Amino acid sequence: MSEITQPVTSTPPVRRLAENSPIVLFGLLVILCIAISIGSPQFYSVENIIAILRQCSLVLIIGAGMTMLLIAAEVDLSVGASLAFAGVVAMDVTNQTSNVWLGVGAGILFGGFVGLVNGLIVTRLKVNSLIATIATMMILQGSVFLYSRQAIQNHNQLPAFTALSTGYLGPVPVPVVIAAIVFAGTFVVLRHTVFGRYIYAVGANRQAARLSGLKPERLTLLVFVITGLLTGLSGLILASLMNAGQPTAGRGFELTVIAAVILGGTSLSGGRGTLLGTLLGVVTLQVINNGIIILGWDQELQMVVPGVVIVLAAYLDLVRRRAGAR
Amino acid sequence: MPADLTMSAPIATSYAGPALEMTGIGKRFPGVLALENVDLTLEPGKVHALMGENGAGKSTLIKILAGVYQKDAGSMRIGGAETAFKTPRDALRQGVKVVFQEIALISEFTVAENIFLEEYPTDAVGSIRWTTIRKDAAALFERIGFGVDPAAKVGNLPVSQQQMVEIARALAHRARIVVMDEPTSSLTPKEVDLLFAVIRRLTGLGIAVLYVTHKLDEVFEIADTVTVLRDGRHISTKPIAAHSHDSLIQDMIGRRIENLFPRSRGPARGETILSVEGLSTSKLKDIAFEAKAGEVLGFFGLMGAGRTELAKAIVGFDPIRTGRITIGGKRLAPHDTRTGVSLGIGLLTEDRKSEGLMLELPVLQNTSLAALGNFARSGFVDEGSERSAVQEFVDRFRVKTPSLNQPIKNLSGGNQQKVLLARWLMRGLKVIVVDEPTRGIDVGAKSEIFALIDRLAGEGLAVVMMTSEMPELLGLSDRIAVMAEGRITKILNRDEATQEAILNAAIG
Repeated sequence: MSEITQPVTSTPPVRRLAENSPIVLFGLLVILCIAISIGSPQFYSVENIIAILRQCSLVLIIGAGMTMLLIAAEVDLSVGASLAFAGVVAMDVTNQTSNVWLGVGAGILFGGFVGLVNGLIVTRLKVNSLIATIATMMILQGSVFLYSRQAIQNHNQLPAFTALSTGYLGPVPVPVVIAAIVFAGTFVVLRHTVFGRYIYAVGANRQAARLSGLKPERLTLLVFVITGLLTGLSGLILASLMNAGQPTAGRGFELTVIAAVILGGTSLSGGRGTLLGTLLGVVTLQVINNGIIILGWDQELQMVVPGVVIVLAAYLDLVRRRAGAR
Repeated sequence: MPADLTMSAPIATSYAGPALEMTGIGKRFPGVLALENVDLTLEPGKVHALMGENGAGKSTLIKILAGVYQKDAGSMRIGGAETAFKTPRDALRQGVKVVFQEIALISEFTVAENIFLEEYPTDAVGSIRWTTIRKDAAALFERIGFGVDPAAKVGNLPVSQQQMVEIARALAHRARIVVMDEPTSSLTPKEVDLLFAVIRRLTGLGIAVLYVTHKLDEVFEIADTVTVLRDGRHISTKPIAAHSHDSLIQDMIGRRIENLFPRSRGPARGETILSVEGLSTSKLKDIAFEAKAGEVLGFFGLMGAGRTELAKAIVGFDPIRTGRITIGGKRLAPHDTRTGVSLGIGLLTEDRKSEGLMLELPVLQNTSLAALGNFARSGFVDEGSERSAVQEFVDRFRVKTPSLNQPIKNLSGGNQQKVLLARWLMRGLKVIVVDEPTRGIDVGAKSEIFALIDRLAGEGLAVVMMTSEMPELLGLSDRIAVMAEGRITKILNRDEATQEAILNAAIG
C-alpha cells in the first residue's frame, strides 16, 4: 500500500457546512421560523406552536427507532403501514374490551411483533432490510383491509382513548410528553450505554463487531423490535388523534420519518448519526409543513418540499462522506 | 484511429535521451507540501524503483505522472519535449500508463474488450470490430508471453492476471513508460516471478518501467536504479548495486534500525494454552497443533494454503465441520467469536478495512470495542475510565494520533494496526492470532509491530502468526508450521527452520 500524505484539498463552503450539519440545520430552522413569522404572524401563536409540537411527536417517536436502525446500517420502510395497523388493532381491542389500557398494550405489542418479524427476516433469512421491509409494508397494507374493511370508530367513546392525544400534562400535550420521554431514553441509550455503542459498531463495521465478540444479528433484531414498539406507540397516538383506527392512515409516513432522520445527519451507510440531529430534522420538516399551510400555499407542496429536502439531505450525506474519504 | 494500433512497438523516436525527465517537481495541497523539488529520470529499457514509506510522496508523484494531479512546480519532459498532463487520458496519449494497485478494469467485460476500452476499433459505419479486437488482444499477449484467453471475463480472472491485462493495455496504447504501483501486494511468489518475467519483456521492448514498492527484496531483484523519497523530498537516486538492505531502509526512514527483529523474551514457558485437534472445514483438512504460553508459532504457506481460513476457524469466526479447539483447558463451543473472545482468543485480521476498523469512528471507540464490557456498570459505559484506559494503551503502543477523537481512517496503516492490537490487549487474551500483521505497513512501523509481538509473547500470550513474509516468519517464530492445500505439512523448530526446508514443505 502506498498511502500518501492525505492531500488536504481546500474546503469549499458547502462541504464545511455539511460537516457541521447540526449547526446548519439549526440555522436553517431559525431562518425558516423568522421567514414564516414575517409572512404570517399567527405562526408563533401558542396554539400553532403546540400544533407543530404535536405533529413532531409522532415523527420523533418513530424517528428515534429509525435513527438507531440507520446507525446499525438497516432501514425499516414498513413503519407507515405498521402505524396504521397498530392503530386499528388498538382501537379494535379497546372496543372489544372497553379497556383503553388493553388497547394500548395491543397496539404497542402489535408494532413490536411487526418489528420482530422484520428483524427475523433480515437477520435469519439474510434478506436486505430495504427489500424485507418493503415486502412487510405491502403485506401490512393489504392485510389491514382483511382485518377491517373500514375505519374502526371509537364505539364506546371512551374519553381516556382520545386523552392520549388531546390530553395535557400541565401545559404540555400528552404526545409531546411521550415523545420527550422516548427522545431522552433513546438519547441516553445511544450516547451512554454499551448497547448504544454496539449499535454504532455494528453499523460501522459488522465483521469487525463480530470479530470482537459481538452478536450483530442479535443487536440488529433488538433494534428492529424497538423500532416496532415505538411505531406501535405512535400508531396508538395517531388513532387517538383521529378517534378511530384508520387503515389508510400513515401512508408514506415512513418516508417522512426517514427524511427527517437523514436530514438530521444520520448516515445511510451506517455507523454515524445522532438523535439530536433527528430532532432538528423532525422539527424542520414539520415547520416547513406548517409554514405551507399557514402561508396558504398549495397543500400539494407538502409533498414536494420534503422531496426536495430528501435530495438535499442525501447530497449532504454524500458530500460529508466524500470529505472524509481517503 | 490507426488499425495497427496493437502491433506497433513503442513509438519510435530519434531521441536517444531519457524517456522521462521530471525535475524540481513540487505539489502543494492546502496545509501540506506533498512534494518538494523532486527529480526523477527514467531511461528506456530500464526498471527504476521508487521507494518510500507511506506519506513519502510516491503516490502523489505517480498521480502527477498519471494525469490525476497537476504539478505546481518543476518541469516534466517526455522524449525531450516539455509536457504536462491535464487528465489521465492525456497521459495515456503521450505514452504513460499507470497500473494502479486498485485495478481499473470492468469486471463484466472480456479481457479483449477491456484492453481496447478507451478506443474500440470501428468499421465504416461505426460498429465495433469484435473479431479484430480479439485477434489483436491475442497478438498482444503473445508479445508479452502471457497466456490468457482474450474472451475470458475479467471478473473471473485472478488478480495477477487482471494485472497482466492492465499491462497489456499499456502496450495496446503504445506506452513508452509503464508505472506499476505496488504490483505484488496481492500476488503469490509464483505470480511475482511471472510478473517479473513480463517486466523484463517490457524493458526488452525499450519501455521504461517505474516500479513503486516498499518491498526491499523485489527492488534488489528487478530494479536497475532506485529513487527514495521521504516526507515529499528526494533523498537519493542510486544504481541498485550501490545499495544494501540497510542503506535502503536508512534512506527510507531517515534513521537506522539496528535489528528489525529484536528478541527480548526468554524461551517459551511450558503450558499449552491452545490446542487444535482434527480440525476440518471446507478448506482445511485435519489440522492439529498446540501453542504454548510465551511462544510465537508461525504459520507459513503459499497463497491458497489455508492460513487465513485456519486463523478464522480457530477464533470461531468461520464455521468448522469437525474438530476440537481448546483454549486454556476449555473447549470453544458453541463455535462463535463471542465464546472465543470470552475464552481469550482473538484474531488480528489481515483485512483491516473490512474486518477490523470502524473507519468513520474515532480512535477511542475503535480501541475499546472488544473491552467495552470492562468499563460498563449495569449497561452504562463509564466514559472516564474507558478514556483513560485507551489513552494508556495509545501511549504504551506509541500510536501517533492527534487525539482519541480522531477518526481512525486518518491514521497510517501502522498506527491503525497498533490500535487493533490494543483492542485485543485491552480485552485481555490468552491467545492472539495475527494474520499478516505487517501488511500495508511502513518499515518503521513494522519493527514496532514486531517488537510488540515479541513483548506479548514475553508477557505469556501464545501468539499464532500467519504470514507470507519469510523474514518475519524466521525472525519472530519459535516454531514454524508450514501449510499446503489446507493441511499442515510440517512443524519445524526454530533451529531446524531454513528457508529451503520451509519452502519445500510449502510446496507440499
